Amino acid sequence: MQRHKFRHIGAPLARKEDLRFLTGHGRYVEDIEIPGALHACFVRSPHPHARIKSIKTEAARKLKGVVAIYTGKDLAQWTAPLRMAPPIEGLLPVEMTTLPIDKVRFHGDPVACVIAQSRYLAEDAAERVEVDYEPLPAVANLAQAVSENSPKVDESLPSNVLSVQRFSTGEVEKQKREAFKVVECEFHQSRLTHLPIETRGLVAVWDEGRQHLTVHIGNQVPHPLRSQVAARMRLSESQVTIVSPDVGGGFGQKIALYREELAVCAAARELKRPVRWREDRMENLMAASHAREDSCRTRAAVTKEGKLLGLELEILEDFGAYCFYPANYLARVVAMIFTGPYKVRDYAFEVKVALTNKCGNGPMRAPMAITSWLAEGTMDAIARELELDPLEVRRANMVETRELPYSMPTGEVIADITPRETLEAAVKAMDHKGFRERQAKAREEGRYPGIGFCSVVESTTYGSKFYKSAGIPGSGHEAAWLRIEPSGAVNASVGLGATGQGYETAFAQVVADGLGVDPSQVRIQMGNTEVAPYGMGSRGARGGTAGGTAIFLAARDANEKVLAIAAKMLGFDSAEGLHLVDGRVEREILGERVKTDITLAQIARTAYLDPTALPAGMAPGLDFSRTYDPPPMTYSNACHACEVEVDAETGALKIIRYVVAEDCGQVLNPIVVEGQQHGAIAMGLSGALLEHMCYDEDGNNITGSLADYLVATSTDLPNFEVIPMHTPSRGNPVGTKGMAEGGVMGAVGVIMSAVNDALAPFGVVADRQPLSPAYLRSLLRGRQL
Amino acid sequence: MLELELKVNGERYAVRAEPRKLLSDVLREDCRLTGTHVGCEHGVCGACTVLVDGRPSRACLIYAVQMQGHDVTTIEAVAKDGELSPLQQALHEAHGLQCGFCTAGIVMTFEAYLKENPHPTEEEVREVLSGNLCRCTGYHNIVRAILRASGATA
Amino acid sequence: MKPAPFRYHRPESLGDALALLSENPDAKVIAGGQSLGPMMNMRLVTPAELIDLNAIAGMDAISESGNFVEIGALACHHAVASSSLVKTRCPLLAEAAGTIGHYAIRMRGTLGGSLAHADPAAQLPLVASTLGAEIVVAGKRGARRIAARDFFVSLMTTALSPDEIIVAVRFPKVAPGERHAYVQFSRRSGDFAIVAVACVLFDKKLRIGIGGAEDKPLVFDDFRSIDPVSLAKSVRDAVNPAENPRVPAVFRKELVEVLTRRAVQKCLSSS
Repeated sequence: MQRHKFRHIGAPLARKEDLRFLTGHGRYVEDIEIPGALHACFVRSPHPHARIKSIKTEAARKLKGVVAIYTGKDLAQWTAPLRMAPPIEGLLPVEMTTLPIDKVRFHGDPVACVIAQSRYLAEDAAERVEVDYEPLPAVANLAQAVSENSPKVDESLPSNVLSVQRFSTGEVEKQKREAFKVVECEFHQSRLTHLPIETRGLVAVWDEGRQHLTVHIGNQVPHPLRSQVAARMRLSESQVTIVSPDVGGGFGQKIALYREELAVCAAARELKRPVRWREDRMENLMAASHAREDSCRTRAAVTKEGKLLGLELEILEDFGAYCFYPANYLARVVAMIFTGPYKVRDYAFEVKVALTNKCGNGPMRAPMAITSWLAEGTMDAIARELELDPLEVRRANMVETRELPYSMPTGEVIADITPRETLEAAVKAMDHKGFRERQAKAREEGRYPGIGFCSVVESTTYGSKFYKSAGIPGSGHEAAWLRIEPSGAVNASVGLGATGQGYETAFAQVVADGLGVDPSQVRIQMGNTEVAPYGMGSRGARGGTAGGTAIFLAARDANEKVLAIAAKMLGFDSAEGLHLVDGRVEREILGERVKTDITLAQIARTAYLDPTALPAGMAPGLDFSRTYDPPPMTYSNACHACEVEVDAETGALKIIRYVVAEDCGQVLNPIVVEGQQHGAIAMGLSGALLEHMCYDEDGNNITGSLADYLVATSTDLPNFEVIPMHTPSRGNPVGTKGMAEGGVMGAVGVIMSAVNDALAPFGVVADRQPLSPAYLRSLLRGRQL
Repeated sequence: MLELELKVNGERYAVRAEPRKLLSDVLREDCRLTGTHVGCEHGVCGACTVLVDGRPSRACLIYAVQMQGHDVTTIEAVAKDGELSPLQQALHEAHGLQCGFCTAGIVMTFEAYLKENPHPTEEEVREVLSGNLCRCTGYHNIVRAILRASGATA
Repeated sequence: MKPAPFRYHRPESLGDALALLSENPDAKVIAGGQSLGPMMNMRLVTPAELIDLNAIAGMDAISESGNFVEIGALACHHAVASSSLVKTRCPLLAEAAGTIGHYAIRMRGTLGGSLAHADPAAQLPLVASTLGAEIVVAGKRGARRIAARDFFVSLMTTALSPDEIIVAVRFPKVAPGERHAYVQFSRRSGDFAIVAVACVLFDKKLRIGIGGAEDKPLVFDDFRSIDPVSLAKSVRDAVNPAENPRVPAVFRKELVEVLTRRAVQKCLSSS
């Protein structure tokens, strides 16, 4: 592809978005004032699993200010159920109504929607709704879910195992038989939740005259959401507008159309009045969306020197009670990219997903977060069992630059990545040799430092071909438009949903280079389906590459037309040798750039107001649209390194140092990219150290507040030392690679590697998260040196 | 319903509210100052932090009725005449915010803290910041920004 | 998460507050609201009447009173932690108060509120018990002083009668040569401790307070030796934490031992 030199792309521009956020003038859903809006509140199940025998609402309705109370039966008349039945081998179809009618499936499941004059009154009424439940035995964990006599979460299914996929290539069994050793490891990742600081929420406004529903909602994927709302409300897409204003964090939680949101839309239409709902934090923790909770096993057939001969991976995932996504979708990606930067031909996996009586799962920043931990934990285990240096085991198996592009055993192709370079950069930065000396000395003093390394190959910007080959319905393309207004003002849009990624700044830089203006002249308009083109939204680290490329291509189209008009205005036959720079046309004369008198504003005026002066046959106006379908996958890579110290007496774990060498290609804005790296690492560490969505043996959620669900604060996290690397992707014209999820993958893996290095003298291995002091003590108890 | 007179950002607001109405809700709904965000309503996340008589306080743990006779300051009053405070400016320059939802609480906490301790160490900054949850930044750049601002507000 | 309705009272004198309290059995007293507020927002507590003490003048004073530092119940944690009087005369109290919750919480949370709430892992009940503070309470029938060790009865339960209000707390001043240490172990900065240890050494006699281990602070002071290792073991053997799915009792006992040993060592090595 054609390569460009950039003036603005890659510049460390402070963000345009900041001013409104810093001064309290952001516009999040709750900040949007809608006169006369009513407030919704949900009655939720106190039981993990129960039949709904009856719902009595009379007492609640009598309260002052209560307008309506709707149950699952009511909503079923006005909305279509969600049927999740993609044609994926091994995945069973499931269906859910807008609110449960016959039974509740988890602690927090919504059973009725109360609409009142204020949230205070709605909560008063919700307390008075009497639901008669017949409690059922609950499926509280994976072991129960897959046991033979388990109660069924979804009675339409033959068992709780919803999805099973197996894959095998090469001769794994033979390799295992003939190997020097087969090294087996376990990995248990806890149940997490996204915890955006802004919880879910929406205002639904029904226009009876136009028969039109406007939904103000914090969301990452406005257009796909509109399609969902329209379909489930039995409206056409022309009857629904999604306005997604400033969004206080998403991390994957704001993608699906949730049942509460649909219920509020239906209520607004039924009542012909605006209805708003802002989820409270207890609801967000218990009932929004959860993530992860995987139990995995790897088996590596290796030579005496630690070279991989064959690999096996088993994943068992707890998907919760409801499917807002195909159940295989998250775990399957892990299995597909598991081998990462390591070379192996013989590989087999089994991915099983089961239902339990817990809140439903969804993608959370780096749905494939466990991948690098699996691979690097396997490397560490090989080193441990063969008494080899863990770094040497990594080096012995890592793909070399000359072997790229390299086909993983699953057929995934990695290209333009630099795993050896990032590994060596991290090793050097950590002074690995010096550390080992310090470590030996510390151990003599009864202190237990550890060092870990974790290479990451991050799958990003999933193109349509990936979806097709993975059997997941959906597309990976993105859409953009760019319009130069009659004054020369530049507006552009893309179908993503911003949740803090700085698109308004980074994409202004992309347009600036593509078109030839200053970024300050460009305004990015997003988050309104009436304005933005139909794109697939923000997920899977796709914004920069899918959205950025689409908008770059639109800007290049604009540049071409602008210069063609300029040529005519200057009296030339062609635009050859003309350039637009900072909104002014320049001419190449004998290799020198010379400014002309022609500006973008003059060109725009001509295009709109004097079309007869345009080149023959050229259409008036300056309006450009583009869609862009990225390659099946764009990979970026990194190596994370971390030094920790474990207090063996208390189990306390302290991160001493954190380094990441990351190669995410050409960056749009290094400030924004570094911020994403920090944030991703933080989310990974927070999950690995602290977070645990906890259900008791009976299936009750015991983490309903932020005093119970612990996330990392500023005193739990270290400073992050980033070593940036920039090997451009050759898969797109800007050279970008997706990023912003790999940090989670690396953090989750590197902390385990470092902790196990610290624990080595005790002969124990940590194989589960979170790495709580109580857990570390449980490993160390009785193992004192 | 009570008739309340509140003083917010130096201006008087006459508000009709039930005694149970939280200060965070009255600021947002009745005073229409929506810069104060609500993140947890149990005092943990720090997003709703405002100043009460100059002291950082969780607006979700105060009933508006309690604020009669007190001075409440919100994020809307921090920038003066369109000019960012040194702390706001530092947050902008150091990329100390992403989605922006927690930002107001952090600004209010440190506008007050830096008056009490104008030259904090990184450890002190991290300790005070631990009362404000941010899910986007990993805190690194927020800490840098506060340290940068502490030079400027001296 | 909005509180249930209540009637609001803002008495301007202690007498008025006590009268309101005795007239309204379903009333709750609010000071800083940093513990009561969350419980009311979650509707775990739904009082019909809320009696706000904040308009009572002078109830946040910190002053010397003979061999005691007397601190008004409305003094916030930040004021206690940063008071030069408390720092010099009751350094253990100042140190522990500075670790409560977070900066904004310490600005509103009060001494009286923390004691009345009686969380077994909280700093102030532990320090009050360890130092042998007196809790001054007022009721319709008059004022009385309750020794901290008698004040904390069990989990979030105190010796306070329903019609009584904590007015002040009297902390004994540090004696010349007295040393102290405060050590706590919590998951994150600002979280309630899993185990906290307060330790006072005076004239080769040790007093050790343990928070978080049982349903109220425990105080031990009858030690045969001040050898940190053996003493810590004996304290560990003396505590009986309850089982908890997330914090096993054995782990809590281990922390009691390690933290006690560390606190005693800190005490012995401080000058």
